[in-house]
This record gives sequence, structure tokens and C-alpha cells, in this order.
Amino acid sequence: MLLRRSSLIKSPFLRLFSATAAEPKMNLDDFRTIETNPTKHSKEHIGKYYQIDDTIRKKLFAHGGIPKKYEKQIKTFNESCLMVRPQAIEIIDFIKKTDFSKPTVRYVLYGERGAGKSMTLAHLAHYGYVNDFCLIHVPYAPDWYKRPKECGLSTIHEGMIDIPLECASWLIHFKLQNIDLLTKIDAKTSKTYDWSKREQTPAGSTLIELVDHGINRAKYAADVIAALIDEIKIASTAGKFKTMVLIDGFNSFFYEKTRVSVDKKARRWPVTPDKVTITQPFINITNYDWCNGVCILTVDIIGMLGWDRESNLPRYLLGKEGFEHLDPFVPIKMENYDDLQFNSCISYYVNRRWIQNTEKGFDQELKFMSNSNPYKLMELCNAL
Amino acid sequence: MLLLKNILQLTKFSPTILIKNYSQYAPHYIDPIFKKQEQDNLIQSGEVSKIAFLPIKAARNNDTSSVFHDHRVSRMVNYIMKGGRKDLARKLMSETFERIKRIQIERYHKSKTDEERSKLILNPVQILHMAIENCRPVLMVTPIRRGGVKYQVPVPISEKSSYYRACKWLVEASREHDRKTHLPEKMAFELLDASNNTGRVVKRKQDLHRLCEANRAYAHYRWN
Repeated sequence: MLLRRSSLIKSPFLRLFSATAAEPKMNLDDFRTIETNPTKHSKEHIGKYYQIDDTIRKKLFAHGGIPKKYEKQIKTFNESCLMVRPQAIEIIDFIKKTDFSKPTVRYVLYGERGAGKSMTLAHLAHYGYVNDFCLIHVPYAPDWYKRPKECGLSTIHEGMIDIPLECASWLIHFKLQNIDLLTKIDAKTSKTYDWSKREQTPAGSTLIELVDHGINRAKYAADVIAALIDEIKIASTAGKFKTMVLIDGFNSFFYEKTRVSVDKKARRWPVTPDKVTITQPFINITNYDWCNGVCILTVDIIGMLGWDRESNLPRYLLGKEGFEHLDPFVPIKMENYDDLQFNSCISYYVNRRWIQNTEKGFDQELKFMSNSNPYKLMELCNAL
Repeated sequence: MLLLKNILQLTKFSPTILIKNYSQYAPHYIDPIFKKQEQDNLIQSGEVSKIAFLPIKAARNNDTSSVFHDHRVSRMVNYIMKGGRKDLARKLMSETFERIKRIQIERYHKSKTDEERSKLILNPVQILHMAIENCRPVLMVTPIRRGGVKYQVPVPISEKSSYYRACKWLVEASREHDRKTHLPEKMAFELLDASNNTGRVVKRKQDLHRLCEANRAYAHYRWN
């Protein structure tokens, strides 16, 4: 009798103990889905982990895009899995229903720290890549203003400050993400760009040539970005390809302080982002004066410098100017895990052996301590 | 005089008796049982009725009923702690565990056969326990003066003291790192080494045992 009863008890964690990593790579656990194509993700996949192919991951996120701590997890777990969050599904649904002949729709992801904004953006970048969108992906905009590698006065635009290394590395990132698409289509520059007396990009050269010029000549990288984004706007309005703009930490373009400065003595008089040459193109691309594209932006409280973090809401983070620039947009709140997602996350961690102590009630304790916040949960599980 | 009177009055009326080291609690107070598992065990075995009406000491603030609480770990945190900065010590300890896990789990997922996998211990707390067990000395030497000469005399040590020594050695070994590595990184390696019965701390224990063995001729100085 006892034996029969114990076999009838169906606790999710009883099953977990027997789960071993020796199972085949694509097993059908409750918390996994074999659907690796984000286009086909729908409501039934919410809360499940899907695997990104390693080659795609290296192409899309070689220069950032997945938060560093999660990169570490990927290395440890020996597989790159993302959870399908309802917000991502919502945006994918919206994109599928969008009429692309109308001006671009702006989506703004907001939510508390560690709720999964950047990870959702990574998921959407994957969606964009699979669906042949031209990706304009900024892995983390605040990095440009918080820790620039090299700042100098711009030689081309008077009174502006240039961060050439960041500009050039973004161009490398752009090229790596879009090389497949750009070789497929015939997007040509619409006009001649004169960089200096000897250097110019003639009208009718490909976008790859334009990008290559910026990579080779970091001095002109900021102007190349401006030119590239203009060209992309023209090309996608003409219907040559669809464009997906993904910017993490968009609010830093409108934050009044940066750590960019030409000489260290001048740090007391900080430079505002609009004085930095890289800012304008990305504000330009998030405007609504073009079509055949979609903008997905996140606003992030960590994008601020740290002494005035008060609210997570877009109006506070973007400020008046930024809010009016984006208005009208679709705000989407990143929530913490609900029960389904939380359980699936715990099951995933247990399956990957990340949680070693599975005494009775451990999940409830973790839930209480992390408040189901994904990042806090990950931090808490580090030592278990 | 007045003070003495006050103290006398205090001892007269307070339920505690002033004893050595000024313990807050009278000797008949029992230690708190704060872990849920232990409480359940007591209830099941019926022993709870024996202590139901005994006065119990208040639990310390690091004694939690969390399922992740481990006595050995919380002691280790105290040994790492400097200047009362427990928050930092706890952070270092958890980072050590994280590093151990990363090393072990990466090995686990990369190993191809089940046999290799089953050999690996992934639980960092278990590794800590094993490391401490492997580092515990049985004997130690104490200087005793006989005829104007100090002899290093081997003496057995208590269980508690041996645990203390093992933990202290592990922490000391972890503190000896170059400028670029941090304590958790070094400690993770030390713990993994010690759990395999290799490494500097285990060697230190063996050296001590060897010294005791060499000085066995002085052992009788303990008594006369």
C-alpha cells in the first residue's frame, strides 16, 4: 500500500532528482522546448527554455547583447538557452501584425533591475536575424557614456566630442550581424560621401564598403554611422529590406551627464550626450519619419550614473525631451517571473546542476528571497 | 561600596546567577534548536516533551532556519571575517562556492562518460566538509620547558580544536595570494585541492604529524 502511494505522488522535484545531464541534448523536459525558431514561438512556449544555435549566438552577440553574467552561465552550462518570456511573445505578435507601410512603431521595454529586459532584447534580436531584418543593435548604450575608451575633440564637427574606438567597434558589430543580409540585397549608397580631400565613398557603392571605411578609418567612424543610418532609412523606406532597431539603455541618450570628457580636468563640467558625435544617428533612427522598420528600446535605471536613481518608469528615465521624442510609443513592462516561469527556471537550474541543495522547501525559500526577480534569483543560486 | 551593594541587589533579584565569564544565561538554559529538520526529528521521536518547559537561549542572528544553513559554513565565514565585516565575509564565501561550482560543473558537462561524472562532487558545501575533514590534525606540538630547554611536545587535541585548526589553515593558505588573484579564487582552489587530499594545507597537516612523530621521545614531558 505504501509503495503504491509513493509511486502516485507526483512532485515535480521528485522527477528532478533523477534528471541527469547524460540525457540526449534535446530532451523533452517540461521546461524546455525544441522549437529553436523564435518566429514559431507562441503563447504555449511561455516560460520554456529554447536553445540558440552556437553559430548564431556567436554572430549576433559576439560584441555584447547577452549580459556578461549570463554569458558566464552559458559557458558553465555548456549550452546557450534563453527563456521565452511573455513580453517577447507579445512583441513578436505585434511585429507579425504590423503594417510595415506605416511609420515605425516604437516599443519601450521598462521594468525593475534584473527583470529580463536585455535578455528579451536578445531573444528579439534572434527573431530579427531569423526573419531577415537588418539589425541595428546597440548592446548597451550607457557603456559609451560611462566608460569610453578614448575621447577626443571631433575634427569634423566643431565643438563636438568623438569616441572613435566605440564607433568603430559598433560598426564591426553591425557588420558581423548583417553581413549575410547585406551581401544578399543590393543596397547602394544614394549619394557621394566626401570624408577628406582624398577619401570619398562614391554614390552607388555598397553599404559594406561604407562600413568597411568606418572600420578602417576610426576617425570618420561617427560620420560613417550617421551616413549608414541615413542610407538604411532610405533603403528600408524604399522597401529593400526591413529594419529592426534594438537599443539597450536608450535613456542614456537623454541623460544630462556623461563621463565623456576631453581632458580629465574638465570632468567637473560634464559633457551632455548631444555633444557626443555618436548620439545623433541613433536618435535619428528612432524617429518615426521612415517606415518598413521596428524600434525596440529599453530604458534602464543602471544607465544613469548612480546618484539619482528614483524610478523605473520611462517618463522619469527618458526625461521630457526623450519622452517627447519617442511619443507615441508602446510601453511594455517587464515583470518578474510568475509561478510558471519561476518553476521552469528552478527546474532548469536543477537540471544543469546549478542548484545542488534540493532539500524540501528550497524553492519556496528562493522565491521568497528573490521576489521571483530573475537576476536576484540567479545571484542567490550562485552559492547553492 | 554603593556599587557592590547594587550588584548584590541585582544578583538577588535577577533569575540569572553571575558565573564565570559573565554568561548571559544560567547553566540550565539549553541551546536553541533552530533548524526545522531537527525540530521535526524531536517531535517525531517524542523528545520534545522533555525540553518543552526548559528555558531556551535566544538563537544567534546567524542561526537561521533556512534550508541552506550549514553550521560548518557559518563557522568558516567567521574565520574569514576581519574587523566584524560579516557581510563581506559572507560574500567572499559565496563567491568561493560559485567558483568551485563553475569549475566542477564545467567539468561535469564536458566529461563524456557517466563514470567520470559520478566521480565528480558538485556540491560546494560537501567539498568544504571534505576539505576540512582532510585537513584536521590529530596531534599537535606544544612547547614545554624542562631543565631550561623548551621541548616541542606532541599532544592530542580535541575534536573542536582540530576543526578550528583545519579551518584556520585553509583560510591562511587562501590569504597567501598574489596581488591579482582574489581570496575566493585562491580559496576555491585550496578547497578543491584539500578535498582531493592534496595541496598545501594537507601537506601542512602531514608536516605537523611528522614533527609529532619525530618528537615522540618527549611525549612523557606532558606528565612529569
